[in-house]
Amino acid sequence: MTPKNKPKEFKNDFWKSKNFKVSIGEIVENKEGETAPESMGPTPKPNITDLRSWDMKLLERYEPFYAPFCDMCCLCTFGKCDLTGKKGACGIDIQAQQARIVLLACCIGTAAHAGHGRHMVDHLIGKYGADFPIDLGMNIDIEAPLTRTIIGKKPKTLSDLEEVLSYTEEQLSHLLSACHTGQEGSSLDFESKALHAGLMDDLAREAGDLAQIVALGMPKGDENAPLIEMGLGTIDSKKPVVLCIGHNVVPGAGIMDYMEDHGLEEDVEVCGICCAAIDISRYNKAAKVVGPLSKQLKFIRSGVADVIVVDEQCIRTDVLEEAVKNKAAVIATTDKMCLGLPDLTDQDADEIVSKLVCREIDGALILDPEKVGEVATRVAMKIADERENLKILPDLDEIQEMAKECTECGWCVRVCPNGKPMMDAVVAAGKGDFSTFVELYEYDTCYSCGRCEQECERELPLMSMITKVGEHYIKDQKYNMRAGRGPVQDIEIRKVGAPIVLGDIPGVIAFVGCSNYPEGGLEVAKMAEEFLERNYIVVTTGCGAMSIGEYRDEEGKTLYEKYGGEFDAKGLVNMGSCVSNAHVSGACIKIANIFAQKPLEGNFEEIADYILNRVGACGVAWGAYSQKAAAIATGVNRWGIPAVIGPHGSKYRRLYLGRTDKKEKWNLNDLRSGEVVEGEPAPEHLLYAAENRGEATVMIAKLCIRPNDTSKGRQIKLNQYIDLHRKYFGTIPDDISKFIRNEKDIPITYKKDVMNMLEETGWEPRALPQEPSTMAFREKAKGK
Amino acid sequence: MNERVIPWQPTVIAGPKQALLVTPETAEMMLKKAKRPLMIMGPLIKESSALPFAVLIAEKRNIPIVSTGDMFKTLNESDIKSKPYGVVEIVNLLKDPDWGGINGEGQHDLVLFIGVIYYIGSQGLSTLKHFAPHLKTLTLCKFFHSNADASFPNMKDEEWIKYLEKLAE
Repeated sequence: MTPKNKPKEFKNDFWKSKNFKVSIGEIVENKEGETAPESMGPTPKPNITDLRSWDMKLLERYEPFYAPFCDMCCLCTFGKCDLTGKKGACGIDIQAQQARIVLLACCIGTAAHAGHGRHMVDHLIGKYGADFPIDLGMNIDIEAPLTRTIIGKKPKTLSDLEEVLSYTEEQLSHLLSACHTGQEGSSLDFESKALHAGLMDDLAREAGDLAQIVALGMPKGDENAPLIEMGLGTIDSKKPVVLCIGHNVVPGAGIMDYMEDHGLEEDVEVCGICCAAIDISRYNKAAKVVGPLSKQLKFIRSGVADVIVVDEQCIRTDVLEEAVKNKAAVIATTDKMCLGLPDLTDQDADEIVSKLVCREIDGALILDPEKVGEVATRVAMKIADERENLKILPDLDEIQEMAKECTECGWCVRVCPNGKPMMDAVVAAGKGDFSTFVELYEYDTCYSCGRCEQECERELPLMSMITKVGEHYIKDQKYNMRAGRGPVQDIEIRKVGAPIVLGDIPGVIAFVGCSNYPEGGLEVAKMAEEFLERNYIVVTTGCGAMSIGEYRDEEGKTLYEKYGGEFDAKGLVNMGSCVSNAHVSGACIKIANIFAQKPLEGNFEEIADYILNRVGACGVAWGAYSQKAAAIATGVNRWGIPAVIGPHGSKYRRLYLGRTDKKEKWNLNDLRSGEVVEGEPAPEHLLYAAENRGEATVMIAKLCIRPNDTSKGRQIKLNQYIDLHRKYFGTIPDDISKFIRNEKDIPITYKKDVMNMLEETGWEPRALPQEPSTMAFREKAKGK
Repeated sequence: MNERVIPWQPTVIAGPKQALLVTPETAEMMLKKAKRPLMIMGPLIKESSALPFAVLIAEKRNIPIVSTGDMFKTLNESDIKSKPYGVVEIVNLLKDPDWGGINGEGQHDLVLFIGVIYYIGSQGLSTLKHFAPHLKTLTLCKFFHSNADASFPNMKDEEWIKYLEKLAE
């Protein structure tokens, strides 16, 4: 049955502000006695196989591309099994094994977000009560587009988010069980399960971010969220410094609360690395952002932090060992990461402080965020003075002497994930030239994984050397980053929905993810700048948001200072941390609902189909490294949003690539005319790894093309695609004819050249689909 | 183990099967045997003195060139014909035995790699190792690529250029 459209035209601020209650259409009661819309779609709370048919449609067009990172399976005692041209002892082949590992990675990523969300929601319910309302303010009526579409329900209170997480956890349990030996055997079904895991990840992130936004008072879609201080130069190392690393805001919020309650805001510096940094700054703008994940080892080695508070995800697992080297205290705060530390949660704060200050213990596990706040602050204040000498940088002469020890074996370069010239930097430093070290330090070109140091036959402390050289030369790094604003407002969607769907805005580009960049964070900022200048909407989250903030243009402005934070053409929208990525899919879903009036509840496939064929959005995770990034990308892929990842992304083992040489793969159903029509490769790929920035930039522009573009919109998109291709490849792309349906699609600037190309290829015009769809025809459209 | 056959990035070792170490002479034999070779040229040799030799190797034998990353521009500006593909795109096509090849003359039987970023190149070679039994891969980089069927060893620039020079003769 075709669900009826819900009336949306009365959903605006006027009606809400006047507290009018409008009831339109029939409302039916569900089993729990709550009202539910009559237009409930076919798949509320879908189980693994409920969306399998949609997955198979995607996988038929975007066949999985496997690049085994390892030829072996070493998961059970039948093996190790070599799968090179052979099956494993359990019967699995190399394709299914790759797909299984991807599913496993997606489950790990989803578990990280779901566990994080669960921890936070439980804590916030404990603090504020289960009935605490989910209210995102006047301009956001569709507060939880993912929850509404997948669960089929509007979350009204924190306890509703608990229900969302319970569903996610249940699905996750089934998905993970499929990874067990002797279960799933089809690579395509593993992929369908991975897509489901990705969807659960998206949902869990929405629940997590909604909980923290409403309960902790973070910005509610505010385009004018404050500018936050960012960079090493903003941190006053003369003050006691507390550093938070990870993703969970709760312990960081505990620290900010303690400082505020005791009037210590001016006396203690609180800073963060990775998403914890972004989320603490969303909670309290006094918190400072050190930078992305790639700053971690360098900053710990700098000795500036007196107390290091770790929560969960993306934290160096040797953080305690590193902290001990320069006498910083470590506080672990979640069950995900206990680091072998004594659990002192139930001890008196005075006692814990005393043990840490007297060095009786190197760190403590404290599972009470308020106690974390007190202990971290008090310990930092007590040990800062005696650690003063550890924050003073040695003379460069000392580095030069160390560098002279280098035997030039070259293994530091060979083990570097990016093959960066560490040996050249050391050799030059031995001669007093620190310029290569500085180049490696800037924009985290060396992202300080520390592999080189582990390999050095002279045991040179290469990470400490690069840190100290970098800080000597670039110690005054000060930037601004707009605090994470959270979701897009409904009113913004109303304004840009049509231009996005019809193609007048060339695309929405989301720079998300980690900092495993091939050439440093500057590349992300440069890509963002390029698309902002070209009238795209640029959204960002997590490490990507921080890397963008670390770049200044020729006028000395960061992109956050140069561009506004509104969700509109030329807007640079920092949504927040990794969990805020849910708002990227959320914005696309809202376009389907607010602009096209597609009902959300239980209506996944129709919404995803709409996004795939009409919403020109593209995700970019240039430095994707973690299993969470794998889950995030897979999640957005299931919604029909393509993603471009950096060259390291090939190590995820699986991409989703389209084949432009197979024309039949791109046929579309025109739901309006009831005919099968010839389509184009739009979007051409669903998950693509680019080798370098130039290739990525051109591909991103191309992946914003959608079958639904109007001729004017197609012209705009092709103009950008050709422009960028000319810039990075020097020519008009030779696949341009595939995207030109009739002459009206040809960009005026390139009309003559393109016409010549079309003539050469024997191009012929074709019809524009009125309602392009990858879904099966509806009964009505078939004329039955 | 001989350092020349430890993968340049030692962590890319994927399993028991390792590439055969080749000299220019053995590489020449592979080329002679091939009916439809293809050269994949990546952006790492954009500014390298190896580039003219790589082009000569291809031109001497009429081997079509696929350029990856943004390498196309560099070649195009020197009037060297190539077809641009992302490295993952061309590998995806190469693994399909029914693909018609770069000139529509049939799937290739030998693929030469040079200048592709090491780790994504290694991943592409792994794909072809597993899913393209219909073709052989040979790498001409100065790095040993264990996921190829045949590879030059790890070399310093000077020796590498000599290897390429021999193959270009």
